[in-house]
Amino acid sequence: VEEIRRVVGPGAVITAPDRLLVYESDGLTQYRVPPSGVVLPGNEDELRRVLRLLAEAGLPFVMRGAGTGLSGGALALDGAVVVGTARMNRILAVEPDDRRARVEPGVVNALLSRASLAHGLVYAPDPSSQSACTLGGNVAENSGGPHCLKYGVTSRYVTGLRVILPDGSEAEFGGMGREEEGLDLVGLFVGSEGCFGAASEIEVALVPQPRGVRTLLALFATVESAGVAVTAIMARGLLPAALEIVDRETIRAVEASVFAAGYPTHVGAALVVEFDGLEEGLDEEAELAALLCRESGAEEVRTAATAAERTALWQGRKKAFGAMGRIAPDLLVQDATVPRSRLPQVLARIEEIGRRHGLRVANVFHAGDGNLHPNLLFDRRDPDELARVEAASGEIMEVCIEAGGTITGEHGVGVDKRRYMPRVYGPAVLDRMASVKEAFDPLGRCNPGKVLPDGYGPRWTGGGGAPAEEPDRSPERGTHPRRGSLDALLTRLERELSPGGLDAGGSAPRVLPRDEAEMAAVLRLAAEDGIPVQPVGRGVEGGAGARPEPGVLLLGTDRLTGTVEHAPDDLQVQVAAGVTLDGLAATLAGRGQWLPVDPPGGGRVSVGGVVSTGVAGPLAAGYGRVRDQLLGLTLVDGTGTPLVLGGRVVKNVAGFDLVRLATGARGGLGVVTSVTLRLFPLPARDRTLEREVPQGAALGELRGRILATGLPLAALEAVAVGPASGITALVRLQGSAEAVSAATRILEAATGPWDRALEDDASRARWAALSQGEAGGEILLRLGGLPSRGPERMGALLPLLQATGAGDAALHLGLLDGRLRLSLPAGGGGGASPEQVARLVEDLQGEGTQGSLRVVRWPSPRGDEGFRPPRAPSATDGPRARTRRLEEELLRRFDPRGILPGCRAPDAWRHGWASPTRGGTP
Amino acid sequence: MTGPDSHGLARALDAAESRLDHCVHCGFCLPACPTYVRLGDEADSPRGRLHLMRAVAEGRLEPAAPAFQDHLDRCLGCRACETVCPSGVEYGYLLERARAVARGSSPPDRATRLLLALVARPVLFRPWMALSRILRATGLPRLLLRRLPAGGVAGQLRFGLAMLEASGPARRVGRAAAPSTPPATPPPSPPTSVPTPAPAIGPRVGILTGCVQEGLFRRVNDATRRVLAVNGFQVVEVPGQGCCGALHAHAGELERARGMARRNIAAFEAAGVEEVAVNAAGCGSAMKEYGELLEEDPEWRDRARAFSARVRDVSEVVAGEGRTPVQGAPLPLAVVYDPPCHLLHAQKVEEPPLRMLAAVPGLRVLHPRDGEGCCGGAGIYALTHPELGGRIGGDKAKAIRECGASLVATGNPGCAMQIGAMLRLGDGGVDDAPEVCHPLELLDESYRRADLGATSDGSGVTPGRS
Repeated sequence: VEEIRRVVGPGAVITAPDRLLVYESDGLTQYRVPPSGVVLPGNEDELRRVLRLLAEAGLPFVMRGAGTGLSGGALALDGAVVVGTARMNRILAVEPDDRRARVEPGVVNALLSRASLAHGLVYAPDPSSQSACTLGGNVAENSGGPHCLKYGVTSRYVTGLRVILPDGSEAEFGGMGREEEGLDLVGLFVGSEGCFGAASEIEVALVPQPRGVRTLLALFATVESAGVAVTAIMARGLLPAALEIVDRETIRAVEASVFAAGYPTHVGAALVVEFDGLEEGLDEEAELAALLCRESGAEEVRTAATAAERTALWQGRKKAFGAMGRIAPDLLVQDATVPRSRLPQVLARIEEIGRRHGLRVANVFHAGDGNLHPNLLFDRRDPDELARVEAASGEIMEVCIEAGGTITGEHGVGVDKRRYMPRVYGPAVLDRMASVKEAFDPLGRCNPGKVLPDGYGPRWTGGGGAPAEEPDRSPERGTHPRRGSLDALLTRLERELSPGGLDAGGSAPRVLPRDEAEMAAVLRLAAEDGIPVQPVGRGVEGGAGARPEPGVLLLGTDRLTGTVEHAPDDLQVQVAAGVTLDGLAATLAGRGQWLPVDPPGGGRVSVGGVVSTGVAGPLAAGYGRVRDQLLGLTLVDGTGTPLVLGGRVVKNVAGFDLVRLATGARGGLGVVTSVTLRLFPLPARDRTLEREVPQGAALGELRGRILATGLPLAALEAVAVGPASGITALVRLQGSAEAVSAATRILEAATGPWDRALEDDASRARWAALSQGEAGGEILLRLGGLPSRGPERMGALLPLLQATGAGDAALHLGLLDGRLRLSLPAGGGGGASPEQVARLVEDLQGEGTQGSLRVVRWPSPRGDEGFRPPRAPSATDGPRARTRRLEEELLRRFDPRGILPGCRAPDAWRHGWASPTRGGTP
Repeated sequence: MTGPDSHGLARALDAAESRLDHCVHCGFCLPACPTYVRLGDEADSPRGRLHLMRAVAEGRLEPAAPAFQDHLDRCLGCRACETVCPSGVEYGYLLERARAVARGSSPPDRATRLLLALVARPVLFRPWMALSRILRATGLPRLLLRRLPAGGVAGQLRFGLAMLEASGPARRVGRAAAPSTPPATPPPSPPTSVPTPAPAIGPRVGILTGCVQEGLFRRVNDATRRVLAVNGFQVVEVPGQGCCGALHAHAGELERARGMARRNIAAFEAAGVEEVAVNAAGCGSAMKEYGELLEEDPEWRDRARAFSARVRDVSEVVAGEGRTPVQGAPLPLAVVYDPPCHLLHAQKVEEPPLRMLAAVPGLRVLHPRDGEGCCGGAGIYALTHPELGGRIGGDKAKAIRECGASLVATGNPGCAMQIGAMLRLGDGGVDDAPEVCHPLELLDESYRRADLGATSDGSGVTPGRS
C-alpha cells in the first residue's frame, strides 16, 4: 500500500472501510461487495506501476471506469482491489486526416464525440449511458447503443490498444494500419469484461458526422404491430440509424413522471425510427417508413421538423429508465438479444412470465437489433418479490435462448449472468474461453469471479503467488516431434472420409472433408500423428498456387458447400465455409440482399477463406471488414474439437469474443466450417467515378478534399496498373438514387469533374475486375499503413511498376484505410529484382512506421540470398514482443500439437523460409 | 449511532428515503460533478454521496464516519447533477438534510461556524461589511495583492483581499466607449421596442437586499431598483427583511435557516408584494425552496409555499417568459456571461439573463468553455476548501480568459468574488484581470446612457459607485 501511495499520491489510495462503501456496487445495485482497496492512477505510467506492484504483491484487482455497467462487471470479488480510471481522462489526440483518436481509458464517451465534432467527425457507438460511461468501460463491455443498428458496436471502431497485462507487463494490439498483423487481439480484448488486463491507451476510428437526420414516432395499438412495422421497414431495404420501441408500461411510466413526453397512454407501443445521412433522399426514406408504419397498423405517425421536436420524440425513449426509477424503488434492467423476426413471440412470452410472477415488466428495446431490455420493477425490501424477480429473469433468459438468441446483447455477463453461460455454450467452448483467459491471466487475479461459470478458468484462491493450477507446459508449437508418417495418416483418413474425400493427384495430398464431422476427424487424426495441416480453402485464397512444403497435408473446403440458410427477415445468413462469395451472392440477390465483402481474388474466394484470412477489400472503407459482419462461426480446432462460437444475433456479448479471435487467424486456431454473417439490403444505385491523377502530391490533395466532404463512401481507392499508366482514383457511391446523385454533386463541387462514371452493373464489374487484379503477380505483398500516409507510400512504390515493364504489375491503395497491395512479376522483363523489391519495402515499413507487412507470395528460392522476402521489423522486447508471446500462448491452447502452423507466416513458411516473426525453424 | 440527536437524524434521512430511492445509480451525474471530475473518487460524486446517505439511512454507516462527514462537506452544492439526472433526484434537498445529520454528530470546524454565526447576526455583520468597504475604498487590497507572496498564510490573506477587491465595481462598464464612437463590433439589428420608460403600473415588486449583497454590492441593489422602475415595476421597500439563510441551509443549519425564512416571509407578506425580485442566485434558489424548508411546520408550510411561488430571479422579473425588457443605449463591449450554478442548475433559469443582456445594443456576449460548470465559489466553499475551490476556480478563470474579453457578468455575489479573485490571482496578474459585474449593471448602464430612469426612483445613486 505504501509503495502504491508513493506512485499515485496519498489522495488516490483509499483503504478505510467507510470510504470504500461507495465502491460496493456499479450500475447494478443488487450486488454489493466492498473492495479491499481503491487506487486511482492519474496517467498511463502510474497505472503500469500500480498493476506491477499489485502483481508483485499477488493481489487480485478489477478495473473500474464510471461504474455504469449493468452486469456487476466492476464488482470487486475475492477481495480484489479496484483500480479506477476516473483520473485518466485525457484525449491524447484527434487526427482528422486519419479519422482516428487516441484516448486514455477514463475519457467519457460523449466528450470524445464532442471533441471530434470540431473536425466534423464523431465516435459512432453511443450507448445510452454515453454521457457518463468511459471508453475503457466501452472496450471492456463492447458497448452498443441505439445507433449501432446502422453503425455497428464498439469492436468495429476500436483499432488499437495498449494494454497492461495482469502480470504488469505491457502489450500493444493492432493499431491503424496494422490490422493484418498476427491475431486479432483487439477483437478479442474488446468485450473481455476486464478479465484480460487494463487498456491503458485506446485508439479508435471516427466517422463523419451525418449531414442530415429525420426522426419519426409511430404509435401502435400493440407491440406486435410495431414489430411488424420494424420487419416491414427492414424488408423494404431501408437501413435506419435507429429503430427503438417502448411498450405501454414504459409509456405510462414516462407519462406519469416529471418527464412526460406527450405520448398517448392508451397506445400499446411507440416506435422511434431515425434515418441519417445525406439530406437528399432522407425525406423519401422517412416517408416510405411512415407509410410502412401506417400499413402495419400505426394509428398515428409524428415527424420532427426541428432539433427540439426531435428531442421531444426521443424523450419517451431516452427518459424511460429515469422515469422507472421514480415509479418503483428498484429496477432490474434485463438485456438479451433474439433474432429480430422472433421479437413478437418473445415479447408475448415475457409478458406472460411477468403476469405469472405478479411483476410489472416494462419493455424498452433496440428493435432493429432484436436487443430487448425488459425492466423488472420491484422493491428489494420485499424478499418475496426479490425472489420472484430472480425467477422471472431466469425464465426470460430461457425464452430468449430458445428463440435462438443470447443472454446479453450489450450489458455483458459480469457476475449476474455467469450461471446462464452453460445454457448458451457447450463445455468445449467454455473450456476454450477459460483457456484463453488463462493465457492472459494464469493466476486468475484479474477481475476474479466474472464471465465464466463456476468450474471454468483459473480461480483466484488467495494464494501467495503460485498458480492455482500448473499451466500447460507442452512443447512449443511446431517443435513437437512427429509420431506418424503422412502416408499412414492418409491411409487412416481414407477409411474415415466419404468417397471423394481424398485427392492425391496434385503435388501434395489434399483432403476434402464433406462436413463438420469429417473435418473433426481429419484434424483429430492429424493431431494424433503430429502431421502439419495446411488449410487451402477453395484453392484461390491468399498465396494459392504456391508450392507446398513436403510432408504437409493440404485441407480443402471444396466439398464443404452443404448449407446456405438465408434468413432475409433477420438480414443474416448461415453458410458452409466452402461456398464461394459468388455463389452466396447469387442466393442473397434473389431477396435483395448482399454481403459487402470483396477480398482480393474476387467472387471465387470461399466464405471460409475470406473469414480465415480476414483480408479486407475496398468495401471495408464503407462497410467494415469481414470481422465486422460476423455473428458466429463453427471452428474445428487443432485437436479436432468443433467449437460453435458466437450466435445468430446482431449483438452478442456473452463470453469472450472467440469469433473475432478466429477471424483472420489464417487457420492457426483451427479450420472454419460454417459462418453466420450479417447482411445488408442491396443498394438501389451503385456508381463509380473515376479520374486520372498525376503522380506526386495530387493524390494526397484529392484525398484531403474528398475526406473534407464527409460523404459516406462505399469505397475510395487509388490504382496503378502496368508500367506506363498513372494513378486512377476511384470512388464508389451506393444508396438511393437521390443520395447517389446528391453525393456526386457534392463530390464534384469539392473536387471538380471526374473523367468517367460507371453505373450499376458496369460499376460492379469494374470492382470485380479490380479484386481479380491482385491474384496475378508472382510477388504479392500487402502493406498496412496510416491512411494519411497512403499517397506518399504509393508514390514510393510506383517506380517498381514502371521498372517491370509488365502489363499486369499493379499497386492498389485504399485511401481511407491505408491498405496497400503490390503485385509484380518476379523480376521478369528487366524489372526490379526481388532483392530490390524487398529492400524498398523494408525501407517503407521500417522501424518507426506504423504499418504491417504480409508476404502473400514470393518467388521460390533457388539457394540465392537475393530471394529473401522482405521482413517486418520484429521487436525482441517491449510491448510488441510481449504481444507475440501472448499470441504463441493462445495458439498453443487451440493447437497444442502444433499441426496448424499456417497462422503466423503462412506463405513464407510454405516456401521454406523462416517466419519473419517467429524466428524459429519451420 | 453517536450523539444525543442521532435518532432524530436517522429519521430525517429516513423521511427522505423515498427521494433517495429515485437514484437508480446510473452515474450520469459523474461527469457533471466538479469534485468528481477533478478527484476521480466515487465518494466525491453525487451518486457516491447519495450512496453514503442511503447507507446512513439504512443504518449501515455512522453519521460520524469520516466518509460521510468529509465527502458531504466537500460537495460544492452546485447542483449541476440535478440538471443531468434522468430520474430527477432532488439532490440539493437531500444534501441539506444529510448535512444536518452530519452536523448533528460532528459539528463543522470553528471558522465555518464563526462565519455562519456572523452572517446571521446583523449587529456584527454590518460593521464587518462597513469595515470591508472602507478597506476596499483605500485601494490597499490591490496594492497588497501585488506584493504578497502566493503560498502559506500570506496566500490565504491574499485570496481574501482578492475577493474583497473583486467585489468592487467594474470600472470598464462606465468607461466603455461612448455611443457616438463607432462600436468595436457591428451593432445588432435595430431595437425592436422603443426605448421609453414604461409607466409604473406593473406588478408590485419587493427586492431582497440581502446580507453580502447589501454590504459589498449595494450598487447592484441600486441598479436593480432603477432597472425595475424603467421596466414599469412598482418597487416596494420591504423593511424587516434579512439574510435569506441559504448559507446556513447549505451547511445543514436548518433550524437557523428556518428562522430566517420565517422572518423574510413575514416581512414580504407585510409589504404586500406580488413578486420578490432576487439579484443573487444563491439567495433566490434558497427562497424558492422555503416551501420545502418549512414543509414540516404546519403553521408556516402554506405561507412558505405561497411565498416561494412569488420568488423570481431579477432576470425573470425583467426578461422572463412573455416579458421583453426595455432597450437602452448601445454599450460597445464584449462580456463573458458565466451562469451561476444556483441560477442555471438549481433554479433552471437559463434564457432570461441572456435575454436581459440582449436588451443592451452593441453588447457582445461570449460563453466560456464548460460554462455550465461551477466556479468553486459555492457560498463559503472557497474559504473552507481553499485548495480544491482554488483548483476549480483556476479552471474557470482560465476558461474566461480564453474568451479574450475584459469583462465578466455573473448574477451572484459569491461567484463574482470568486471569479474576480481567481482572475486576479491567476496568470496575467491583478491589473489586466477581466473585471466582474452583475448582468443587471450592464442593462443599468445602458439605460443611464439612454437617459432612462435616472430620476424614476429618486435613489440618486450613480452607477459605478457604491
